[in-house]
Amino acid sequence: MNAIDGTDRQIKADDRPPPSLLAIVLDTNPHAWAHLSSVLPLSAAISNLLVFINAHLASGNANEIAVIASHTHKAEWLYPTPKDNLPRRRPNGAANGDIEINGLPKEPSVPENPNKYRQFAVLENAILSNFSKLLDSTTERDLASTPTTQVGGALSLALSYVAKSTLLHSPVDSLAGDNPLSALADSETVHTARVSLTSRILIVSVSGDLANQYIPVMNSIFAAQRKRIPIDILKLAGDTVLLQQASDATGGVYMKPERPEGLLQYLMMAFLPDSTARRSLIMPSTSGVDFRAACFCHRKVVDIGFVCSVCLSIFCTPDLPSNLCLTCGSYLSLRSAQIATPALIPRKKKKKKRAGGTDSATPGGNTPAGSGTPMHA
Amino acid sequence: MSASSSQALEYLELLPAQTHRKLYEQPSTALAVFRCMLPHLAKTIVMAMLYMPGPFSASDLDAWFRHDGKRDKDKAISVLEQLHVITARLEAPRHYSYKLTEGFGRSLRQALTGSGTHRSFGVPAQSTEERVSTDFLDDYAQKQWENMLFYMVGSTVGLAATNALGQDVGEGTKTLLRVGDFVKVTHGRVTITRTGFTFVLQEANAQVWSLLIVYLNYAPKLGMSETDVLSFLFMLGSLELGQEYSISTLSQTQVQMLEDLSAFGIVYRSSKTSSTFYPTRLATTLTSDSGALSFSTSNAKSDSEDLTSSGTGATRGSASKGYIIIETNYRLYAYTSSLLQIAVLSLFTNLTTRFPNLVSGKLTKQSITRAVKLGISSSQILSYLTSNAHPQMQKNTPVLPPTVMDQIRLWEYEGERVEPTNGYLMKEFSNDHEYKDLVAYAESLGVLIWKNDGKRMLFVDRLEQISLYMSKKKSRSE
Repeated sequence: MNAIDGTDRQIKADDRPPPSLLAIVLDTNPHAWAHLSSVLPLSAAISNLLVFINAHLASGNANEIAVIASHTHKAEWLYPTPKDNLPRRRPNGAANGDIEINGLPKEPSVPENPNKYRQFAVLENAILSNFSKLLDSTTERDLASTPTTQVGGALSLALSYVAKSTLLHSPVDSLAGDNPLSALADSETVHTARVSLTSRILIVSVSGDLANQYIPVMNSIFAAQRKRIPIDILKLAGDTVLLQQASDATGGVYMKPERPEGLLQYLMMAFLPDSTARRSLIMPSTSGVDFRAACFCHRKVVDIGFVCSVCLSIFCTPDLPSNLCLTCGSYLSLRSAQIATPALIPRKKKKKKRAGGTDSATPGGNTPAGSGTPMHA
Repeated sequence: MSASSSQALEYLELLPAQTHRKLYEQPSTALAVFRCMLPHLAKTIVMAMLYMPGPFSASDLDAWFRHDGKRDKDKAISVLEQLHVITARLEAPRHYSYKLTEGFGRSLRQALTGSGTHRSFGVPAQSTEERVSTDFLDDYAQKQWENMLFYMVGSTVGLAATNALGQDVGEGTKTLLRVGDFVKVTHGRVTITRTGFTFVLQEANAQVWSLLIVYLNYAPKLGMSETDVLSFLFMLGSLELGQEYSISTLSQTQVQMLEDLSAFGIVYRSSKTSSTFYPTRLATTLTSDSGALSFSTSNAKSDSEDLTSSGTGATRGSASKGYIIIETNYRLYAYTSSLLQIAVLSLFTNLTTRFPNLVSGKLTKQSITRAVKLGISSSQILSYLTSNAHPQMQKNTPVLPPTVMDQIRLWEYEGERVEPTNGYLMKEFSNDHEYKDLVAYAESLGVLIWKNDGKRMLFVDRLEQISLYMSKKKSRSE
């Protein structure tokens, strides 16, 4: 009689892994690629990436892909090709234009090649043409203006795409099709239990210092963390604290290959397994993560800084213009006595705690009562 | 891996190594096997090895897996070995390494990069005449397929004479259904069999595969080569819907096949002598998962056409649009006007009322036991109801009311107390260690049915992997 036990009601033993969406953020910073060109030219990297994308699509029938270029001055979609931004009203107002971005571009120019799986051909065509369009539109002035890359923007594009696809995938959504806003509204409560799409973001990064984008990137990281989207980092060149933190906080893979020319094997082995496969694999991750933050005023990575007591913004210097927080505008004032050794207060506390049990004669003469909250006034 | 492809996988596994090797020469086949036949972890392993310069040693592979993933790893490796995708080699005593079979690796690489001149992904025809629209193709496929299903179900239920549906089924199809033991013909009257029921209650994609597997088994009798047939099927799965393809590169066997396939509605040809063909949705979803997922989502292929194609009530549309509502009082409402769906429902439901767009009835003990007597199992009924549940029902977890699910099972169990399983009894182990080891392996493969530790006996339903494992172990210990 055990066979009809009510606990076993899920007859549809669906052992098939859920479809997985891979959003790739490709850092196309020309400065960095030029630096890397002797080892791994951009063209080779892209062709390797295309094979990897094909492999990802082949790994699951419903797998999806999104590719975003984070260029020097803007973040640009490589795939799917965005529909032209003109606000086009559909005849029936109910249909949501959101679905459109999900569609393949109906490009008539895809060459018919009997040696190639059509889905792959369409994708490759779209990525390459979008990419060359991006490169053609880049002017020297754009390049000269900044040496880094818009990874923050690209990351938020990826996140928004992931969020949208997740909504489109959840079973409930198919019936709420004509009212997408209601689906959005209760997404937190209803959809989380039924999410059938696993997503991850892969950042192929070559640029070094990204501290100037600390705030947008950090916000994206927190969003990804909340949505349980792992951010994988493939760091081909340079090194940045920020991306290490991204992969660490979201449980993604972090890899800095010693030999970038073997890009494809790294991709295939470390970055292809989706979250279903990762459950049974040992994935590479960073051992020592640098958790230092960048200050909000000069975008410098700081060891010791000042924190706004209202909004928790970090500053490297206490000399704020007219003593107002740059982020929230609260009035912050530090007395000169405290400015001298601001970081020593927490350190002293720690020492005291440790020493407190054994040694009561603390140098400095502070009374134990005063250690909790300094009450100098 | 879905239920549909697991049938095909079972069939593929039993093929000899030479057939596999020949199959893998076509990149489209290698890609299709990879995409829909392999378990998820096996794909991961294959992809990791694809561009690896040397062999992958077994100890490295072990190190890559977490401890609790070992069971899945064993399963994946055993499937890969059975399909001859990877081969194990003894490098040194007690040291194995795995290597991708050369042909498979090369073909898969070609498929991913799109290189070579194999022309295995179909040669698009430069269409001269007017192109056929995808709507037309969907209608065509749906009509042909429903006809066939109705041919099977209709007469059993007694609806056969009411409609022209199910009349124009080709002789070849009828023969095939008989050979596949889906129907029995006694005195000119068609009765559906147990396997037939299983077939009808499956989702469309699984149905296509079951039929094609029967076809494959039957092919040698028609003088067709199995390899040719298989690789053509895999190629069909990688074609584009709505695109016209030329038959110029097809072999004799494959041209012959086209005729049969168009009778099933898997491909469409404007005439029997036409030099081109169109794959229908039945074909293009061969190597992908069917069901709601591939229909309503992912790529644009099935974006806009889908809404128009599903129509009122059809087998294909029903995969994405459920129509059945069941209440806790066993009442059933089905929003459909399709005769086929009504016929299927009436196999296990006591239908009472029919409206233009709705039939209603009740699941009763009688109706369920009648169905069980006909050879339908409760799990088949439940899975049919679940997969066709109305969107409003699908919001619930579990989808069906638990009381109804339990009661349907109980009704079935009233009649059945014993369940036979074919398999092999293994006994007389020389020591406890050997016994325990084998039990653990059998368990990890999922073939262990029963064991008795005291008597050191175990019962498995499949032996191939076990015997391979034992001989390997023997050679290792020597």
